[in-house]
Amino acid sequence: MPTIINNRVGESIKLGYLAFVLMFAFFPLYIVIVVSFKSNEQFLSNPWFFDPVSEWRWENWAIGWHSVSGYIFNSIFVSFLGTLSTLIIVLMSAYAIARYRFPGKSVLYYLIMATMFLPGTVAALVTLFNLLRQMGLINNLWALVLMASVSGQVTGVFILRNFIEDIPKELFESAQIDGAGHLQQIRHIVLPMSASIISVTCIMDFLASWNNVILPLLLIRDDQLMTIPVGLFHLDGEYVKQYGQLMAGYAISSIPLLVIFVFSMKFFVKGLSAGAIKG
Amino acid sequence: MKYRQPASDSSPASTSHRSAWLTAFSQRGKLYLALYLLILPTVLSLLIFSYYPKVDIFLMSVYRWQPPTIKEFIGLRNFKEAFSDPIFWQSFELVGILLVANLLKLWPGILAAIALNRVKSDRLRYCIQVCFVVPMIIPGMVFLLMWKNFYDPDFGLINRFLNASGGMEVLNWLDTTMPRVSALLAPVQDGVVGPVFGGVGGLIVLGALIIAVGKIKSHDRSRWGDYTVLMLGALIIPVASVFGLQSSPTEGKALAVLLIVIAWMFACAKRLGRAWIAWPFLLLIGTCVFWHEIWRLPLAFIIAVSWRELIRARLDDYDSAPYFRASSLLLIGLGIFFILFGNIWTAPTQQFSNGTPAWLGNKDLVIPAILFWGFPWVGTVGVLIYLSGLQNIPQDVYEAAKLDGVTPLGMIFRIELPLIMTQIRINLIFMTISTLSTYEMFLILLGPEGGPGGRGMVPGLYLFSSAFSEGRFGYACALGIVLFFIILLLTIVYQKYVKVDK
Repeated sequence: MPTIINNRVGESIKLGYLAFVLMFAFFPLYIVIVVSFKSNEQFLSNPWFFDPVSEWRWENWAIGWHSVSGYIFNSIFVSFLGTLSTLIIVLMSAYAIARYRFPGKSVLYYLIMATMFLPGTVAALVTLFNLLRQMGLINNLWALVLMASVSGQVTGVFILRNFIEDIPKELFESAQIDGAGHLQQIRHIVLPMSASIISVTCIMDFLASWNNVILPLLLIRDDQLMTIPVGLFHLDGEYVKQYGQLMAGYAISSIPLLVIFVFSMKFFVKGLSAGAIKG
Repeated sequence: MKYRQPASDSSPASTSHRSAWLTAFSQRGKLYLALYLLILPTVLSLLIFSYYPKVDIFLMSVYRWQPPTIKEFIGLRNFKEAFSDPIFWQSFELVGILLVANLLKLWPGILAAIALNRVKSDRLRYCIQVCFVVPMIIPGMVFLLMWKNFYDPDFGLINRFLNASGGMEVLNWLDTTMPRVSALLAPVQDGVVGPVFGGVGGLIVLGALIIAVGKIKSHDRSRWGDYTVLMLGALIIPVASVFGLQSSPTEGKALAVLLIVIAWMFACAKRLGRAWIAWPFLLLIGTCVFWHEIWRLPLAFIIAVSWRELIRARLDDYDSAPYFRASSLLLIGLGIFFILFGNIWTAPTQQFSNGTPAWLGNKDLVIPAILFWGFPWVGTVGVLIYLSGLQNIPQDVYEAAKLDGVTPLGMIFRIELPLIMTQIRINLIFMTISTLSTYEMFLILLGPEGGPGGRGMVPGLYLFSSAFSEGRFGYACALGIVLFFIILLLTIVYQKYVKVDK
């Protein structure tokens, strides 16, 4: 049957292409893990290539942990607090905008939305830096928390507003009759009803502040306060010769996100595929 | 209706009318107060950290400013310098190259999403989907530094691979051959293309003009009015240059020209309706291409119009479309051919003979290295967004196509691409704006100076380095405003032109 053969050929072409793409996506991860166990001599004599590890250097990981652990804690601090405060602020304002009509609502809503379309995060970096300097937030992790909580708000309000509007009004009304205040309604109705979309936006916010380079590069001076991207950038400058330890550091700095993804993978794949971040 | 008046229906009827009104008023006031309090953190934080810095760049761009000591009012001198700063405008050239490259780099992701969507078994598809998400756990910085290591001249993976596979010899051979090809093309380019079209860019502009003119549907009297309006637009800057805009520019003259251009844009919008928005950009690009012989722009416009009139005199709108398409594609293809083989690799780089080209350290190799960056150019988020569009395609569309005898390959163009156009457009918008504004990669890889010979300088990086390594904050603000308006214009165009239906 020619169609069956056709199907097989087609299927193998598809899978072959996907495998090719995925191979390149996983290649850096593979190299990071393999090289992190090699000794520097082995690496330099035959860099990158697929020879088995001749002697397993576990101490690379210990040294790597020693050099990046501080950065990891800083990054977790910044990204976690930033995401949490974004979530709280966004929930409150999205709830207010989606449920009620009040004087000045459309003005305020467009004021918020306009920042999505107004360019100038690049241009405003200069003045933003000056503003933070005047507030005394240079070399301070709270500046990064603050900026992380500001940057995720607009898309958050936009997405959550649509979701809250779709929640049946009767739920809110019955809760109101039972004497629930606004904050209680947010906690007991909005939060559980839109958990999947909230988790997706939270992960996106978390990733954005996790990978943010420019602001930490400008604001943070002390080595103890650096976040992962900036810290690794500095290590890359210092440690040029010790590839094993460097790669171990890279691998260790991927672990926190690995943990988060293991717990939220289902939400994430579903949420993304459902077109949650279409806008 | 979401309007709620919590008090009015619950107030007891026995109380007097006046006090009922009062309680209702105070209750509603309470509700509003609560709502304002709920929305306050968002508004306040955006006002302080998003709006204030953006307003502040406008205020500070007129100062010679180096905080915290120097702050001196100098009027529009920063802008004057910005407009005549060769590095700044060269950086847009790189943006143009990157945009074209990114347009091509969209395709591997689209194809991957289509292939993923067509995988038969649900379980396997889910597994692959998860596999696409997993690389996101690697911090972006690790990815950057790994690729930087791949490009290392001595033990980078790319040079190793090229040496092992013989690719280095091919490159070495090309290094001597390509300059010879370009030397062969040079007489044609300088002798024919240059004088007739005003260079290779002229070929492409003429091709684009023919497409745009061919798009004008009407064939009654009013088309001559349209031509006149467009012709006026093509003439503004040539005429202004006759009056000394090019030889002795002053602020007054520049401002006057700007006002005339804006007035013309309004006339264009009134006259041509929705299709007007491409014209100002086309003519602007034409002006840039023909900068030193500006009379060519109206001439090219006349050629395009006469070509249209010639064809439309014999054929109707439907039949003439292929002719416009063919002629413009021929011109643009020819232009691209000349650019690829006559303008890029004109001199041997002599980097490949010893087998260790310094990809990120040589001024001729920086741009190719950046273009190859991230091979095979499949972004996780992009794939998942396309996939969300593909999963909305109902199965019977495929079955109907199968009955009509459409091959699997044909289905890509007949079904899948048209139906995920929304997602492609969204990605296109994101891609354009991020190409114009992001510079993290260039800063990390090449440093604030833009690498060897400043070849890797993008506008954002120039802004960054003039503020934070040269300490010229005021000048950086002026650059930022120029960039701001360019991106704003693009956003408006996209809002108008590219309808995104949610």
